[in-house]
Amino acid sequence: MTGDKTRRSLPLIMAAVLFVSLSLSASAQSDEDCLTCHGDRDLKSEAGKPLFVDQAMSQGSIHGQAGISCLDCHADLQKVKGFPHESPLKPVSCGQCHETALQQFDRSVHQAANEKGTSGITVGCKDCHGTHEIKPKDDFDSPTFAINLPATCERCHLEKVPSKKGTGFIGGYNQSAHFKALEKSGLTMSANCSHCHGAHEIKSVDDPLSLVSRKNIIKTCGTCHVGIQRGYLDSVHGKDFVKGIKDVPVCTDCHSEHEILSPEDINSKVYSTKVALVCSRCHDDIALGRQYGFLTSRLKTYNESFHGTAARFGETRVANCASCHGFHDIRASSDPKSSINKENLPATCGRCHPGASRHFAEGRIHSTPEQIDTAKYRTSHVVKSVYIFIIAAIIAVMLVFIAADFLRRVLRKEKHG
Amino acid sequence: MDSAPLIRDEEVFLRMNLAERIQHWLLISTFFFLIVTGLPLFFYDVKFFKLLLPTGRSFYVRGIIHRVAAVLMIANLVWHLFYAALTRRGRDNFKEMLPRWKDVKDAIELFGYNVGLTRFLQRRGIGKKFFQKHPYWLFEKHPLYGRYNFVEKFEYWALGWGSLVMIFSGFFMWNVELSLRLFPLWVHDIFIIIHGYEAILAFLAVIIWHMYNVHLSPEVFPMSKVWLTGKITGQELRLLHPLEYEQVLEERRKTLSAEAL
Repeated sequence: MTGDKTRRSLPLIMAAVLFVSLSLSASAQSDEDCLTCHGDRDLKSEAGKPLFVDQAMSQGSIHGQAGISCLDCHADLQKVKGFPHESPLKPVSCGQCHETALQQFDRSVHQAANEKGTSGITVGCKDCHGTHEIKPKDDFDSPTFAINLPATCERCHLEKVPSKKGTGFIGGYNQSAHFKALEKSGLTMSANCSHCHGAHEIKSVDDPLSLVSRKNIIKTCGTCHVGIQRGYLDSVHGKDFVKGIKDVPVCTDCHSEHEILSPEDINSKVYSTKVALVCSRCHDDIALGRQYGFLTSRLKTYNESFHGTAARFGETRVANCASCHGFHDIRASSDPKSSINKENLPATCGRCHPGASRHFAEGRIHSTPEQIDTAKYRTSHVVKSVYIFIIAAIIAVMLVFIAADFLRRVLRKEKHG
Repeated sequence: MDSAPLIRDEEVFLRMNLAERIQHWLLISTFFFLIVTGLPLFFYDVKFFKLLLPTGRSFYVRGIIHRVAAVLMIANLVWHLFYAALTRRGRDNFKEMLPRWKDVKDAIELFGYNVGLTRFLQRRGIGKKFFQKHPYWLFEKHPLYGRYNFVEKFEYWALGWGSLVMIFSGFFMWNVELSLRLFPLWVHDIFIIIHGYEAILAFLAVIIWHMYNVHLSPEVFPMSKVWLTGKITGQELRLLHPLEYEQVLEERRKTLSAEAL
């Protein structure tokens, strides 16, 4: 981690800084000198920019506590003799000391955007870390403190810098389970922006090196959700993911990206009554089905079943896709470890239907007639066709009978007045 | 005799007694609730049912109402069976309800009479010889019915058959675990299909057939009141149930002549 490296080299840097400042002390100004002017609350530049530096805050900052003086950062003032000095000063270069951070930042999407300059916004160290009052990231008041970081990033990313995926996309994080854990319960290990995107080295999602790229997202989520990552990698999805198949779902395809909610939350995409819509995005896709050899018409056949119908009406106590197929560790039915393997079906169904026997496996749960290989398992579909024919015939006969009756009565009335 | 007819047109006859009417009312209400709480499962995509059952909780209550209505309907059916077996009137009605060959003929004759195709052909001079030899096929007269005509008998026995099918399949749907202890899944699937499609058939038959015959038919429009009052007039008896009318007439003639002796 960059923070650790910086911290380890801190005493060295401080010694160097001390040496430099001592050797320059004859000619240069002390902090007190600066504050004779900048200690004035009303001091403003000609352009009206406030130039006040709060002494208490700058001395309370991590730099102030380490004895780093104004001139250590505002290095171009070291050669200035006459005061008030010319303004504006050169931007402070944090990289003098924070080399690694700067190197990472130079390769980040932020720096790329600065160089491109199309957004009209530039971003540098101070935009996230602050200036004179700068605090370490474990300080409660630091803008980069885990709980404060989302608000810091959202200063730009909520509105000023629109996401390719729409304006609400990033703000969705504020509804997420991650943010709730962070804000409500103060769980600083809960994912904030930098946990998933990285900090100084932050990259665009399209960049394969990005922590949230398709290639890396499993590992990134797995940093915290270790057990889930293991289950996923064992699953039929995970095995294909490892093979590099790009159509396979990764964490974010089912759980969404920023607005990740608990599966118990009614608005979650994987809420029990809604998860079928997520799975069927791929599993009802005929092209994908053909390419990877799986059955489609999953949603329709599920909806037709009592489980699916009840779920559509909002009943949560019925089986959804995950109840039978599992979720992270989902396996093909041919896999002996699969919950829907013929041998395991009685146990799987038995979770809700106590005493479920082998009979539960003697049929097809959701299949269109063409998909059923065993003739007798197709009987219900045959019965259905017969019924449709009988109903049509009976109703047609009834209607003809009624039409004839009605016409005769009307005709008779006309005849007899 | 001519001065005082044996059956006056204003005379009131009891077609449905109170017990029969209550059975019919119970049947209507339980059927209504069963249809309303059952159709959403069949037409799960219809917006109206989504409004009717906005939450998972209401869906759950729907299931309870469905089963309560089912139990009441079965109780009503059992009552009717006892009534038909143990009371004199019930037994008489039941005998009258039994299907006969005449009912098939009545249906054909009524249809032939209503369509009038053969009469049309005859007027056009087609098949003259055939119709001279077999005037029956001209269907010149409306068939004459007894207490229950073929329409009513069809409804009665369709209801009986439908109830059996629905009770049998519904019982196993209600007790999934039991069903799957006895039958493999593919058989249970058949129960589900039967229950749904038999319901659709019953629903359509009632909406189309029964509603026409007791409401929309010009004969009774806007509604036959028998199901409320249980009464029909001597005139209605003569026009709608001529054979029963004849029977009553015959009985009265007999008593009259017996008295005269």
